[in-house]
Amino acid sequence: MSRDVYGREVLQGMSWDLLGVFFGLGVALIVVHALYRWLAAPDRRAK
Amino acid sequence: MNAPSAPAIATPDRTDRIVRHAAVDRAIHWLTAACVLTLLATAFLPILGLEFAWVTVHWVTGWVMIAIVLVHIVRALFWQDLRAVWIGGRDVRDALAIVRSTLRLGGGAPAKPGKYSFAQKLIHAAFTLVILVAIGTGALIMVKIDTPWWDRNPYWLGDATWGVVYVLHDLAALSLVTMVMTHIYFAIRPEKRLFTRSMILGWITREEYREQHDPNRWQVDP
Repeated sequence: MSRDVYGREVLQGMSWDLLGVFFGLGVALIVVHALYRWLAAPDRRAK
Repeated sequence: MNAPSAPAIATPDRTDRIVRHAAVDRAIHWLTAACVLTLLATAFLPILGLEFAWVTVHWVTGWVMIAIVLVHIVRALFWQDLRAVWIGGRDVRDALAIVRSTLRLGGGAPAKPGKYSFAQKLIHAAFTLVILVAIGTGALIMVKIDTPWWDRNPYWLGDATWGVVYVLHDLAALSLVTMVMTHIYFAIRPEKRLFTRSMILGWITREEYREQHDPNRWQVDP
């Protein structure tokens, strides 16, 4: 957010501080899935 | 470190191959990937401190991306089977079966999918939504820069409307960071490498077809 010449709040866009959040979310999804597959996933190829 | 091994595939005879992705579709996929990576790099590297003249590369790549997406839409509408990637009731039942299997709630192994699994359809739908938002808002933002075809006009929309356009563009870009990371992760997982190979070389083997797909849901030439 910023303020225009009349002092009103104006939307500027997303905060780039969120870049780390979205990157971290990607890492978390990958780690959780990799751990699940490694430790707990049923073997779907089992006959 | 040894990764779990992927099924070893000797180069099969041509008659043993089933075309999963035609050359034009593979080209569309890899050109889109190159555009997305270029757009993310030119968007975020300057924010991370690597400063360079990114604007021209960004908007030119954006136009290339729009052209590729239009080609893909036309091809999907007139040359491909849209139903292959459409999420329907049966896919929802498949997803519930996968959840039951994952949580070991019984119900047996999930049914084999057609050409695309529920997860593949879901990521395709997510990329469709996010990329359409990114290029739609990106096309609007191009009004604010000088190009060989027009002079910039920052007053074309009101401040509040520009704010919404930027929020949507930025949110799409941030979402793409997470989505590209997970997409690449799944592409290199051992059990998914046959799909990555088919996106590079175009084919899967008949054995992989029988193993991975329901022939009633994805019918191929004998």
